[in-house]
Amino acid sequence: MTSRERVQLVLQHKEPDRMPLDLGASPVTGMQVDTVYNLRQALHLDPPGTPVKVVEPYQMLGEIKSDLMAVLGVDVVGLSQRATQFGFKNEGWKPWTTFQGTPVLVPAGFNTEPDANGDILMYPEGDKSVPPSGRMPKGGFYFDSIVRQPPIDDSALNVEDNLEEFGPVAADALNYLSREAERLYSETDKAILGNFGGTGFGDIALVPAPWLKHPKGIRDVEEWYVSTLTRRDYVYKIFERQCEIGIKNLEEVFAVVGNRVTVCYVSGTDFGQQNGPFISVKTYRDLFKPFHREINNWIHRKTQWKSFIHSCGSVRALLPDFIDAGFDIVNPVQCSAAGMAPEELKKEFGDRVTFWGGGVDTQRTLPFGTPDEVRKEVCERLRIFGQSGGYVFNTTHNVQARVPVENVVAMYETVRQCGRYPLAGRPA
Amino acid sequence: MSQFEEMQQAIIDGKAPVVKELTEQALRDGVKPAEFFPKAIVPAMNEVGRRMRDCEFFIPEVLIAARAARAATDILRPLLVGDEASRSAGTVVCCTVKGDLHDIGKNIVAMMLESAGFRIVDLGVDASPEKIVQAVQEHKANLVAMSALLTTTMVNMKAGIAALASAGLRDHVKIMVGGAPVTENWARSIGADGYGKDAPTAVDLARSLVAN
Repeated sequence: MTSRERVQLVLQHKEPDRMPLDLGASPVTGMQVDTVYNLRQALHLDPPGTPVKVVEPYQMLGEIKSDLMAVLGVDVVGLSQRATQFGFKNEGWKPWTTFQGTPVLVPAGFNTEPDANGDILMYPEGDKSVPPSGRMPKGGFYFDSIVRQPPIDDSALNVEDNLEEFGPVAADALNYLSREAERLYSETDKAILGNFGGTGFGDIALVPAPWLKHPKGIRDVEEWYVSTLTRRDYVYKIFERQCEIGIKNLEEVFAVVGNRVTVCYVSGTDFGQQNGPFISVKTYRDLFKPFHREINNWIHRKTQWKSFIHSCGSVRALLPDFIDAGFDIVNPVQCSAAGMAPEELKKEFGDRVTFWGGGVDTQRTLPFGTPDEVRKEVCERLRIFGQSGGYVFNTTHNVQARVPVENVVAMYETVRQCGRYPLAGRPA
Repeated sequence: MSQFEEMQQAIIDGKAPVVKELTEQALRDGVKPAEFFPKAIVPAMNEVGRRMRDCEFFIPEVLIAARAARAATDILRPLLVGDEASRSAGTVVCCTVKGDLHDIGKNIVAMMLESAGFRIVDLGVDASPEKIVQAVQEHKANLVAMSALLTTTMVNMKAGIAALASAGLRDHVKIMVGGAPVTENWARSIGADGYGKDAPTAVDLARSLVAN
């Protein structure tokens, strides 16, 4: 059975030979680069000191190369645009060292400057002649956006200002996606997850637009949240135009990648906090759902893709609406948040949606537990989520920095041992 | 509806310009600055907290209400003099800990504490243990509220507590912690005095820590 067939079967809520596994196919199912380095060393894949590529510079995610995929049994591979969250392309690699002393390779446009405190500043498109758009605190592991909010004059707000990043997909980007889709389809047997961008409405990680040199409109995080209520019409109009552009772009992308792609990453907007949703169900229905539905309807009418939504936190109250809006896959399944107990989620929604993630708690067990605690939790999650397919193993969001490598190894050993169908304790 | 009831409603509804206008009007009518807290701002924000807890209010609603309350407190704070100023519910040094740049949660807690009558010394994000110690000394704070969003930075809460201890201040301040990856167990394990799972709980916690 190929990886692609395995993923397709679970998406049809059937049980293949074993549970499929994702690592690194999307910006929310990967692993921080220091941890990738440590894992590669622990598995003796590289001589000491061999650098790992940083494929996503904002969250500092490390490359999951085919040798690591083979060792772990990864079944999914990502198809992404070349441009990173800081606007430069993933090409022209040069050496760099993280605060932890890990040797890494970063793209040519990864141009940094220390500030007076020793923090590292990052520039949009690597252009140091404009103000920085990202900051990694001294000793830190990731970048955060530097909010560049021009003064807001409500009488002069223009939706186009918040749409600068949502233009038509460029011809060279389409050529790249076309070539890359063909390469991944013919050279690997993995399921392809398409990260095409442009269809996440109000994704707070993207609102500050760290790739833009001079962002306009509403770019401050708090101001954006407030605007979803106080400037509802403005936000709605942004979404309306974004949706139009997004569907046009998906049409063009589909024309070149076709059904080689299995899964389309549609939305990464976080709707949940630790104890409940960020917004009310009513706000979701009024402001977001119409556009989610429109995108998903297009996908289901025109393609065989499955639609993927990522939202951290407690989203139990919103799950029926996500499903109703046409999402097929939910990630990262943050079981540590309120109302997100695995048994209840699987029982209530498991026949209608595929859970992609939730394999281990990355806030507690993975970074702070013992290998035995990791094994126990992973095994239990596989038993619960794996019933009747509808499950792809991944941690709850990216594996972070400072995670003990023995815990990471224990996690993947457990997936291998406990992830076989038929599940233990049930007749074949 | 009384002047104070009107103001409460305007805060709950998040109407900052109305709150500002009502505050200015009441001051012209001779209302003492300190009276606004128990009669309008504190009860309004208690109601906001209740609605948040009961899932009637979410982050945008709370932010808007807190901004409206701030429209009043920005006018009133400088007018509090002598006794009135020192009669605040307590002085809280709040921050996001070293290495962490996330502040939405911390800001909401700070705004709600301020509306509950606490004096806030906000150190912003990426606050070093030394900076916390210095602020506690300088402002004679009786509470420290630390926030972290990352598993990689929550460990720096420990460093904050250790620094307060070695400066001989541990017995003079209560310490509360919060943030997405933080739990009650974690708070206990690092020797904090309390954990606030959300902003309304943090306000209740601050009140009880100061009372004890």
